[in-house]
Amino acid sequence: MSKAHLSPAQLDAFQRELDALRAEVAGDIGQRDAEHIRGVVASARAHAVAGRSLLMFGFDPLSFAAGVLALAKAKILENMEIGHNVLHGQYDWMGDPTLNSQTYEWDIVCASRDWRKTHNVEHHNHTNILGKDDDYGYGLLRMTGEQRWTWRTPLQPLSYLLLALLFQWGVAIQDLKLGRWFKGRMQPGELRQRAAPFLRKARGQLFKDYLLFPLLAFWNWPRVLAGNALANLIRNLWTNAIIFCGHFTLDAQVYSKAEVADESRGAWYLRQIQGSGNLEGGRWLHLLSGHLSHQIEHHLFPDIPAPRYTEMAPRVREICARYGVRYNSAGFWRQYLGVLWRILRHALPLDRRPAGLAPATHAEA
Amino acid sequence: MQIQGQTQPKPLARWLRSRWLHPLNDAVAWEQMLCAINPMWSRRDYPARVLAVIDETADTRSLWLQPVARWPGHRAGQHVVVEVEIDGRRLHRSFSLSSAPTADGRVRITLKRQPGARVSAWIQQLRAGDVLRLSAPQGDFLAPADDAPLLLIGAGSGITPLMAMVEELRAGGRHAPLVLVHICRNEEDFIFGARLRELASRWPAFDLRVHFSAVAGRPDAVALTRLLAGTGHCEARVCGPRALVAAVESLYRAAGVAGRVRSESYRGRVLPAADGAASAHAVHCTNTERVFTAGADTSLLQAAEAAGLQPAHGCRIGICMSCQCRKRSGSVLNLRTGERSSEPDELIQLCVSVAQSPLELAL
Repeated sequence: MSKAHLSPAQLDAFQRELDALRAEVAGDIGQRDAEHIRGVVASARAHAVAGRSLLMFGFDPLSFAAGVLALAKAKILENMEIGHNVLHGQYDWMGDPTLNSQTYEWDIVCASRDWRKTHNVEHHNHTNILGKDDDYGYGLLRMTGEQRWTWRTPLQPLSYLLLALLFQWGVAIQDLKLGRWFKGRMQPGELRQRAAPFLRKARGQLFKDYLLFPLLAFWNWPRVLAGNALANLIRNLWTNAIIFCGHFTLDAQVYSKAEVADESRGAWYLRQIQGSGNLEGGRWLHLLSGHLSHQIEHHLFPDIPAPRYTEMAPRVREICARYGVRYNSAGFWRQYLGVLWRILRHALPLDRRPAGLAPATHAEA
Repeated sequence: MQIQGQTQPKPLARWLRSRWLHPLNDAVAWEQMLCAINPMWSRRDYPARVLAVIDETADTRSLWLQPVARWPGHRAGQHVVVEVEIDGRRLHRSFSLSSAPTADGRVRITLKRQPGARVSAWIQQLRAGDVLRLSAPQGDFLAPADDAPLLLIGAGSGITPLMAMVEELRAGGRHAPLVLVHICRNEEDFIFGARLRELASRWPAFDLRVHFSAVAGRPDAVALTRLLAGTGHCEARVCGPRALVAAVESLYRAAGVAGRVRSESYRGRVLPAADGAASAHAVHCTNTERVFTAGADTSLLQAAEAAGLQPAHGCRIGICMSCQCRKRSGSVLNLRTGERSSEPDELIQLCVSVAQSPLELAL
């Protein structure tokens, strides 16, 4: 599927329509959105208390399974629907310091400050631009023929599996730019400085799940330890799957730096749509994915409260249809299998493009 | 033997607050749970329950409030910041306390409905039993402690802190002369008029002088001098619009006793947004005490950087929120969304906002 090419005049009209949609929804933001996010915060806390209690006080396998699932759900809600969206500034308008993008600290090993930089500034600005968007393959995976193939690339199904299992750690060390350090292009002092917030955060997270709560359970500690590890694992696998479906499905486009030089705002919108992919499903899918199931709407309007994406999606789709822009949307399994296929396919030295496009593995600082 | 725990927080309390115990000691979570049961149990700020609502004039209403017992208590002339939540947004406004301190801790705020002032209108429609949040009492707009002649000058709703002072002085059994000059439109507009007239009739030391501007016009310098006749530039407290405060201050300055006036001026109304004006506006950074100018064609971020400031920033196209900043006052236009921010204390994005009026930013 190739990219849509709109004339500058069409791009301007396209931008005006999307801006008008944003303005309409932004004008309606209020009580309903505040109640939603507070409700999710309460729900995540209730799931955490229930999950940790079941693990701590139960003895049987059934309550173990229920405890793990409840704790995993608590962690997923906090990570996706609360943390991700609050850190985007979606609820800053409420004036509630506990839901403010500049002060919120989410419950994963990645320090909020690092993530705001790698995600909000770098990824959302340079979405799917090879060499500028570090999220594209995470400097680890070759997801398109335009990225360079090296002797390590055939191992990428394995490295993807590791990344999926340890996803929160992968996200956490992204801003350390370890690639530069390995190549000797970073002083140890700079690395120490970059790593400090991450190390502080990771220490607290490890202490909580693998020391504090197991100790509180006395003789039940192995059960709590295992339960916490499993809940973290489930959260890692789920968030990884959702996030990979966002930009690496079969129809998601990539861009070269030359293509986006002097990009208009309309072209920026177009790139956000063509570089993203949506997941279709029920309300639970949208909530547990932090509404990243509406990745297209999220990339167009990252600061609009996420539940609004559901009502915006049909209208974005309709606008795209009128301009002949492909709107990439399908069910979870179809999209995720597409992601896995891309990982496998590009592990082989097929589809190698001639030189001319900057290889993404040479990410520039 | 040394007494421990006097200067430093107790080791136990420090340990309980330690980050290592998170999430067990998550103060926010506990607070929100308590609030869900009863909003008066909150430990954040000082919740206060509305006891009674009283109409003072056609557009002015008083609310008697009962703050939680740990509220520090105020002195006449002080104000509180009131927090309300309207349509999901937390908003803060300052209001003078219009009552003298009482034994049971009840306080009164008195609000006049102003066109375009959403918060006052919202508070006015509260009923007995509703809860709002107060800050600790603030401000040093107090009556002097000595028993010397005192002059109080208020205009419109500027009477509120002065009313508290009058009641406090009355309760203290004052005998020294107390002059209250009040300026308002007409008799119907005279807040606390009945109560003040009754006090004046029974309290020989209290001299009430009222100026109705609907009849006599806005008091000019001559009229003001006449209203203040015989007060001999004694210690004065003024509360009202900036113009009135400035007029009284210049009278005292001319007499060489500028130090005897203490004033409080309510913040100007919402500033009208200038449309299409290509003029530059002064931007006052309240944290760094820096001032720069920003035109209507450059973003505040660019203007600040051109002036040598280095505000935090990220994408520069309005999506990452890194440059978000609290606007204390003034009006800005967000070029990306077309939204206008003209209420005080709103968050704005520097990289896509242009000044539409003089601004105060928390930079």
